[in-house]
Amino acid sequence: MDPTISVSKGCFVYKNGATRANKKEPSKRKRSGPAATSSLLGKEITTQPFYAAYSDCWKQLHEHIQQLQMTSNARTLEQLVEFVGIEGHCRLDEVLPTAALLTGINQPDHLKQFETLTQRLHLQRVGRVSVLQSRDCATLKAAIESMVYSLMYDLSAMPEMDEEEADEGERDRKRLRRTQCTLKQLHAWYSNNFGGAGKQRALVIVLPDFECFNANVLQDFILILSAQCERLPFVLILGVATAMTTVHSTLPYHVSSKIKLRVFQTQAAPTGLNEVLDKVLLSPKYAFHLSGKAFKFLTHIFLYYDFSIQGFIQGFKYCLMEHYFAGNAFALCTGYSQALGRIKQLSHEDMETIRRLPSFRPYVEQINDCKRIIAVLTDDEYLKKKLPQLLRDCLLHFMLFRCSLEFFTELVGDLPRCPLGKLHRELYVNCLNKPISQQAEYKECWQILSFMSKEAFVAKLSKCISCTEHFLSEQIAPLELGDACAEVMRAELQTLKTLLNDVELATLEQQPHVNSESHLSSDARALTDLTQVASRQELKAQLLQRSKQDKQQSTSEYARALTKILAHIEEQLVLKHLRPLQQAPPLHELYVFTDIATVRRNIIGAPRAALHTALNNPHFYMQCKCCELQDQTQLVGTMPDLSVVYKLHLECGRMINLFDWLQAFRSVLRSADEQENAEVSQEHIDPQIQARFTRAVAELQFLGYIKMSKRKTDHATRLTW
Amino acid sequence: MEQICGAVEPLFPCREASIRTLCELIGHCNEAYPPAIYIFGHSGTGKTSLTKAILQQCERQQKVRTVQLNAIECYTTKILLENVLDALAPEEQQPAESLVADNMLEFVEQLRRWHGKSARGFLIAVDNAERLRDMDANVLPVLLRLQQLTGLNICVLLLSQLPFEKYYNKTGLSEIIPVHLAQYNKTETLRILSSDFDQLKRQLQLQLDGDRLAICEQSLTPEFYSNYLNLFLSVFYKACRDVPELRLTARKCFAVYMEPVLDGSVECTDVSRLWRHIAGPLRSALTQIYLRVEKPLGEPDIEDQSVRRLAQSLELPYYGKFLLIAAFLASHNSAKQDKRLFVKHHGKQRKRMQTVNARAKNAEKMSTTLGPKSFSIDRLLAIFYAILDEKVGLTCNLLSQISTLVHLKLLAFVSGEQNIMDGSAKLQCTVGLEFVLYIGKVVGFNVRQYLCDFM
Repeated sequence: MDPTISVSKGCFVYKNGATRANKKEPSKRKRSGPAATSSLLGKEITTQPFYAAYSDCWKQLHEHIQQLQMTSNARTLEQLVEFVGIEGHCRLDEVLPTAALLTGINQPDHLKQFETLTQRLHLQRVGRVSVLQSRDCATLKAAIESMVYSLMYDLSAMPEMDEEEADEGERDRKRLRRTQCTLKQLHAWYSNNFGGAGKQRALVIVLPDFECFNANVLQDFILILSAQCERLPFVLILGVATAMTTVHSTLPYHVSSKIKLRVFQTQAAPTGLNEVLDKVLLSPKYAFHLSGKAFKFLTHIFLYYDFSIQGFIQGFKYCLMEHYFAGNAFALCTGYSQALGRIKQLSHEDMETIRRLPSFRPYVEQINDCKRIIAVLTDDEYLKKKLPQLLRDCLLHFMLFRCSLEFFTELVGDLPRCPLGKLHRELYVNCLNKPISQQAEYKECWQILSFMSKEAFVAKLSKCISCTEHFLSEQIAPLELGDACAEVMRAELQTLKTLLNDVELATLEQQPHVNSESHLSSDARALTDLTQVASRQELKAQLLQRSKQDKQQSTSEYARALTKILAHIEEQLVLKHLRPLQQAPPLHELYVFTDIATVRRNIIGAPRAALHTALNNPHFYMQCKCCELQDQTQLVGTMPDLSVVYKLHLECGRMINLFDWLQAFRSVLRSADEQENAEVSQEHIDPQIQARFTRAVAELQFLGYIKMSKRKTDHATRLTW
Repeated sequence: MEQICGAVEPLFPCREASIRTLCELIGHCNEAYPPAIYIFGHSGTGKTSLTKAILQQCERQQKVRTVQLNAIECYTTKILLENVLDALAPEEQQPAESLVADNMLEFVEQLRRWHGKSARGFLIAVDNAERLRDMDANVLPVLLRLQQLTGLNICVLLLSQLPFEKYYNKTGLSEIIPVHLAQYNKTETLRILSSDFDQLKRQLQLQLDGDRLAICEQSLTPEFYSNYLNLFLSVFYKACRDVPELRLTARKCFAVYMEPVLDGSVECTDVSRLWRHIAGPLRSALTQIYLRVEKPLGEPDIEDQSVRRLAQSLELPYYGKFLLIAAFLASHNSAKQDKRLFVKHHGKQRKRMQTVNARAKNAEKMSTTLGPKSFSIDRLLAIFYAILDEKVGLTCNLLSQISTLVHLKLLAFVSGEQNIMDGSAKLQCTVGLEFVLYIGKVVGFNVRQYLCDFM
């Protein structure tokens, strides 16, 4: 610390440009960032093979997701950029061109979308952009100032300036103070930089969270912009989270008549998610898979809580990290050839990890040679030799699973009422969780399928087949092991085709039984029988029998072919490939993430529950010996005071008498060391205990559990239940 | 003065009297101006454009310095003063010289210093003058007495929609000359709108070609157009008297009106058939007036105002929907009834004659029609858990949904926004019954069943 000549104590400001240096530094660091290590983790972790596998996998996935989102948003963005390009000129009437972008309810997610829009506008040199968030615009003054400031000193626009523009930029280098940022300044700046003909650029104002703006500020802001429209080519972009009616209800007529509104629709969040799931997470390209439960958990958060795709991706990333960080053995969770290379690097511990996997045991049990069992369990080298085959089986299984899922989705996805769900993700979860053929919904599907008309069924099945073939050639074929998978699958499809051909050729006519004569005679006999029934019961029995006979006879050739093909599908595709996780080949744990409990604990914050555990059972977090509890409700004097007070207050009703509370507190403490304090009188309270009690109550109040009552003296009100 | 009148009058039909009054007041720059003029009238009566035209003419013909301001832009007094100074600076003044006026005194001094000796006229027009009332207390009085304070031949024109009585305050204001621009009546509106005819015709002729151009030439007569305007005004005049707005809509609808004539399917004299064609579009245009929603070409009509569509198109997470329903129930049931509504074994309700009578009397005072009451977050969560079948943990994700709903303006804070932590914050639900009924239908929950009003 620098010495001062002052005798008084205090903080002193030194004018040595320290703040300026600080401001410059981060930007430099940011630029050199990617070159240096961007990870928080030390070298000892980043050099491990599992980390390499993890970062590899995440990089691929991340790029894929980003590319996907780019393309799905591309159309709207193109339209918006085009709109800005067309409207971004000065006009004579005071009408402000405005684009309303219906984004969807998760506002933080959409900030990113506006970022890409900004980048695009800069890239195409259409305009300068200022993104105004509602928190910066509490008053009109603040709104205008931050708008002008960000338009004039738009950092993201700086790098793309040419030389000629750069020296113009130099002219404004002398930065303005916030309060000097007025429209007059903006006007001067604009005519300085873009005044010339052909250099005109639109000034784009983006309000990403329209709903959060103060209505009065917004109205005045729009009126000002529209009044300036003659001289400055403003374009307004509103990010509307709910619907257009909010725009109409926020802006009164005299404001809304000043804008020219054009509505743009973006992709709805659930469709966006489905796209990500179908194209990335369920892609056969990646070796990493989520188990049915983990998958359901993540989609559940999305659909039930927040509709945030970003949140979903982060959750998925967390699962990925959790999976790979379990050990170097999980470095094998990559493509086949890479995994082969990594097998050599595995140490003894890693092999032990593999042996401890739950699915390893069935594998060992099915070997019937004693010597080989011992070799597998003890000899690392022997197991390493065996590994490639096992991994290959696993990878192949997942590919076949994915192909069959494609077929199966097409088959049952559009049945009436969708008993099993109509999307890949629903079916994926269903198939992985439980043996699907035993579920009631599955049986319902099969029934519906068997009731379908011939044309519909044939059309459906041929569509399924062509879909799967398309999937094979598009997605599977380019992968390694893809040929092996495709070969198996094509063979299946071929048999299906021949069966389908049978179905197609089958006639719908009632096929009389082979021995029509006997059939006829029996028929005649039945007829005669009917005439001579004696009692009602007899008649009923006979009728029942006849109807049964009818059913058997009425099976047409088509129906028989149909049952045959359905049975084939069930046997060859569903039972063979769409197996649940429990029946997956050995070592599937290397590829599938199942540890849902950890993720749940770490992703979902439950502040109230955590606080309750901490106060109710401090041992859980402190791991101390003194306050181990046998029973959750137990009260021990050695626990922290706050915890004791909390537990006592749980026993009370809405109002808590402070004196009674104190007495209870004291008795709890005394029970801890009763030998010494046994003789202390009831009335006299040790001031130390009183002080401890007061402090604990104050802390409890600080935590928000109680409030001192104003109605009743010496009572506290409970705030939680 | 005559020249100014002559230049402005053709631009503003039906405003001859007002123009003449104004010109008499400020038309002679060599005579003393009145200190201040107050021009008022409803929106769309031509206050701003009329003033603008007159000031332009004055500047051009008599070399008067003029300023036009919009009071909304001047969110601080300083900006107002600097804008005036900026426009009134002497021509020989270097632009770089600082124009700092922190307060009224400096402003008046600066004006005196610059123009003390010249005998020129100065006109200052302030649009949306009602905003001046909310600015510093001295702004309005100084502007009204600027002539006296500076000793210059200066006149301030204030433009507003309010009558001047609304400006009076305790200290009083000096005299001002009011000029009222009355709203146009129907015939005047018709006259103004039909002055568009020539421009419209030229525009149409540019767009069309071949057969259609010939038909257009033949049928597009002033009578035809005024017929159309009569039809148009018969629908719109009740709803809107704002002339610019009417003009815009009239142009938009005229294309639709002309369409069958250009196609050759309807004779241009067959008014009743033309009316049948245009009635529908006119009515739909009436709902869109002032909204200025522009539809991109070739896209389906996404503008459907019905609540049903709105509720179905609003995508909320599953629990978000339930929270919204819970908020609605909390807002429209009294807390006393909660036990009866949401607890299974709530005991039997005793019926007293008193309550029965009270209820019968207040049948029309249903709480769903009285508007939402406030509720605490605890109560919201309690009802949420009561109406949800499954067990959900009280997690951050769930709690953040509440703030999301507040952001979307589906819920609103009534009080205690600052102290959410101590549980005293009160919320209310801002959506209507119909909306919630549809939301409930989407998630399969019967809202009506849980409303006291429908028991």
